[in-house]
Amino acid sequence: MNSPLRRFSAVSLLAAGLLSLSGCQTPRDAKYIESGGASTVVTLDQINIQDWNRAADAMVASLLSSGVLERVPEQPAVLAISRIVNNTQQQVDTDSLTKKIRVALNQSGKVITTTTLGLGGKVEDPLAKESAEMAAMLAGQKQVTRLPYYTLSGKLLEDRAQAGKVKQVTYTFQLSLTTVKDGLAVWEEEKQITKQGTRSSVGW
Amino acid sequence: MKSLALFAASAALLLALTGCQTNVNTVSRAEPLARPTLVNDKRIVTDRTLGDLIGVVSVNETIVSGNLRKVQVTLENLRDNNREIRYRFEWVDQDGMGVGGVSELWLPLVLAGRETRSVSTVATSPRAVDFTLKIVEGK
Repeated sequence: MNSPLRRFSAVSLLAAGLLSLSGCQTPRDAKYIESGGASTVVTLDQINIQDWNRAADAMVASLLSSGVLERVPEQPAVLAISRIVNNTQQQVDTDSLTKKIRVALNQSGKVITTTTLGLGGKVEDPLAKESAEMAAMLAGQKQVTRLPYYTLSGKLLEDRAQAGKVKQVTYTFQLSLTTVKDGLAVWEEEKQITKQGTRSSVGW
Repeated sequence: MKSLALFAASAALLLALTGCQTNVNTVSRAEPLARPTLVNDKRIVTDRTLGDLIGVVSVNETIVSGNLRKVQVTLENLRDNNREIRYRFEWVDQDGMGVGGVSELWLPLVLAGRETRSVSTVATSPRAVDFTLKIVEGK
């Protein structure tokens, strides 16, 4: 092989290698990525955004497929969010799960969530509650609050295991939908998400 | 010496390959009782490599909660080794506009060798009429 051809081949190979590497390399400069998308960071010590998304998606699909929402006497059914117990090692805002579920159920037209009734009297929208009370008082009427037909409760669990350098964490998301009038759980679901590795990574 | 190196390389390659090989054997009812409503699908393959690795066996749909569409796509790993993919469902309404929702997210799926698995989604809006399933190779 003559030397210009050899040089051309070497340069081409180098360029191809660089191009292919640059397509997959870890970004150094900050940039926008799709929230919860395939480029998001995966860690072993916390529930990542994609974990919340996956859990919420599975819960919504299960609830909508179960048929229980068709059995309510008046649609949309009113839902109140009850206690979501966090038994993981980290401090999380359980709205990361429940809000996604609420949004999806609201979109479906099957369920609406009350924001003026909360666990232990702590309401999500105190202004709406006070305004309703004020309006009722000015009208000389007793305030009528639409009571929830369902309540949503649940628990977050964490299980850790290690074999040598390989760490494994399983997050378990449990939810129950209870009918207020009889206190029976008409729908229950559990979704487990397991992550394994030696260190955090970008993309999955 | 050269043949020994060749043998060692072949053995290492075989070991590496068999480490990822887990084919699935199955047994099911000979005459299925299920009567799925199959959907005539349109497939667009832009990644021929992936198209040769993962096949779409069937697409079926049903209605849940009175007026919400649920679709299920059955995928097949066409090779003997484990295959990791990511998939995402997207919904559009009667006017072709995207509906969005929590179900529109990329999800991982690992298929063992020759395994057939179903992935499904429920449209969170009664306006959703058509869907697209996107599949890409995993990391």
